[in-house]
Amino acid sequence: MKLLATTTRYYLLLATLVFAVGSVVLYYGIGLALREEVGEQLVNQQTAVRHRVQATGRLPESVSGGELLLSTAAQSLGLRDTVILDAVEQEPVPYRQLSFPVSAGGVRRWVTLRKSLLETEDMVKMALSVMLTVLALLLLSQGLLNRWLARRLWSPFQQTLQALRHYDLQQQQPLHVPVHTSIDEFSELNQALLQMSQRLAADYQSLKDFTENAAHETRTPLAIMQAKLEQLLQVGELPPAPAALVGELYTATVRLARLHHALTLLSKIENRQFPQLVALQLEQVLLNRLFQLQDFIEEKELVVTCQVQGAPALQMHPALADSLVGNLLQNAIKHNCRGGRLHWVLTPHELAIRNTGPALTQEPERFFERFRKLNPSSESPGLGLSIVQQICRYYGFSVHYTFSVPEAEHTLRVKF
Amino acid sequence: MKILIVEDEPALRSSLAEYLRQDGYVCETAADYPQAHEKVKLYAYDCVLVDLTLPGGHGLALISTLKADNSRAGVLIISARDSLDDKVLGLELGADDYLAKPFHLAELNARLKAIIRRRQFQGQRQLLFRELSVFPDQALVLVRDEPLTLTRMEYNLLLFLLANPNRVLTKVSIAEHLWGDDADTADSFDFIYTHLKNLRKKLQEKGVDNYIHTIYGMGYKLSST
Repeated sequence: MKLLATTTRYYLLLATLVFAVGSVVLYYGIGLALREEVGEQLVNQQTAVRHRVQATGRLPESVSGGELLLSTAAQSLGLRDTVILDAVEQEPVPYRQLSFPVSAGGVRRWVTLRKSLLETEDMVKMALSVMLTVLALLLLSQGLLNRWLARRLWSPFQQTLQALRHYDLQQQQPLHVPVHTSIDEFSELNQALLQMSQRLAADYQSLKDFTENAAHETRTPLAIMQAKLEQLLQVGELPPAPAALVGELYTATVRLARLHHALTLLSKIENRQFPQLVALQLEQVLLNRLFQLQDFIEEKELVVTCQVQGAPALQMHPALADSLVGNLLQNAIKHNCRGGRLHWVLTPHELAIRNTGPALTQEPERFFERFRKLNPSSESPGLGLSIVQQICRYYGFSVHYTFSVPEAEHTLRVKF
Repeated sequence: MKILIVEDEPALRSSLAEYLRQDGYVCETAADYPQAHEKVKLYAYDCVLVDLTLPGGHGLALISTLKADNSRAGVLIISARDSLDDKVLGLELGADDYLAKPFHLAELNARLKAIIRRRQFQGQRQLLFRELSVFPDQALVLVRDEPLTLTRMEYNLLLFLLANPNRVLTKVSIAEHLWGDDADTADSFDFIYTHLKNLRKKLQEKGVDNYIHTIYGMGYKLSST
């Protein structure tokens, strides 16, 4: 729920409560005050009637703004409430009456003065309806005000939110938020966010620099190791035992170099260092790679079939496209069985590479993990499918692995 | 045959110079950009090996200088930055080839020879080794003037051996030369052995000695004696 809606809800609840209490108090207050008022008027009239009797010696026939009743029978004295049925409207009407005895011309008579309370009720109703109208207006205006506030006052906040949503650390640009807004709190928030994004960018840059420098700097010692070992191999009179040692050392160095190459590629993809996009024909890339891998295909006596149902319109860095296809094909050849099948399907929306091979002993989710190898003693670093996954992630493709049991076929499917 | 090696790392520079000197090249070295610039301005070389990141300047500028002077020298880039952009830029500037560090000296030697061969013999380029004559342009191999039929792989293998005679070639350097990044797709060492066995057999059928020796634990060697 929106912050504004929440505060409004509480506000409205409180307003309603206050108004309800106010209305009740008002209802009884006004009623009470008006009864007092009517009572006073009746007492005034009583005084007027008595004066008249003293002055004229006769009882008046009527009084203005009320009713006057005369009777010879004794009435209970003082102010009372009574209800009298209205003859015209056939409705009970509340009255306030005052009875008192008067002696006029030696005769003792009882005078009752009456005043209708109907007008007072009308007034109370009026007051209440005004209250309710004000309440309704207040609620309505509060709602409208909030909508306006949400649009106007919260607009810097929405801007900040939008900027945060589109913020990508890897693009290495500072967060675009205004440092000065009309609301102090938002300005502070934006300043804090800006500082944070600058710090993040600086940290990220230094990490990237470190990776790049480390990658670059380890290359040279590796090159020296490899060159010196190769020179050592050429020393003619090297006895067989040390010669074998040097040979193994050399192979290990080359493995290290390959590992280094693969890891550098991975970190380069993660650092988005392949901005160049070229419209490429994936089919051609596949055919080129298959040609390069021809020796391995022939050696394993694989049957390669394909099915091309259109070309995807892809914009990729050529090196990454080559790496993606190469790793998928290498994988399909490496884990194939002798005399097995390799089938690839290219449609405008996906590339699927299917190969025969022994079932996996490990769960397929871990298939794309780094250094995950089917055969742990294999010399390959086990980074091929990590690279595939990373390239797919980079271009927003998805890659899935499936295994069909009856044919013992593995399928890797890249959806563009 | 005169080569200039522009490499700032002393250990690598000395290895390169020594390896190439054994092949009969005259090698000069430069440790930084000003030194290299001076040398290419003063002397003529058949080939220049250029490291791209140099103290005092960039290797690419050196290539531009060579090309601006219409130098006959071939250019081979050796770079520690395995970046496609550098490679493309270098080749566009007129470099003949690009090799990323770390590399096999045998591979460097083979590429260097290919560059020099392409630049030197305009029409006929021919490799001679004992009874063998190889015409790389036509992928033709003659044994005592009789053609020898080889598969693509056997031919490439022979060419790599011929580029590095009397040197031990490790299996891994042969595998990487033949298949590049795909070298670890299969057990390529067994694979090399199979191709090599076939090559030996074909050579022996033509009545030549077994030139190709197996060096235990290390690799193979094409022997001229």
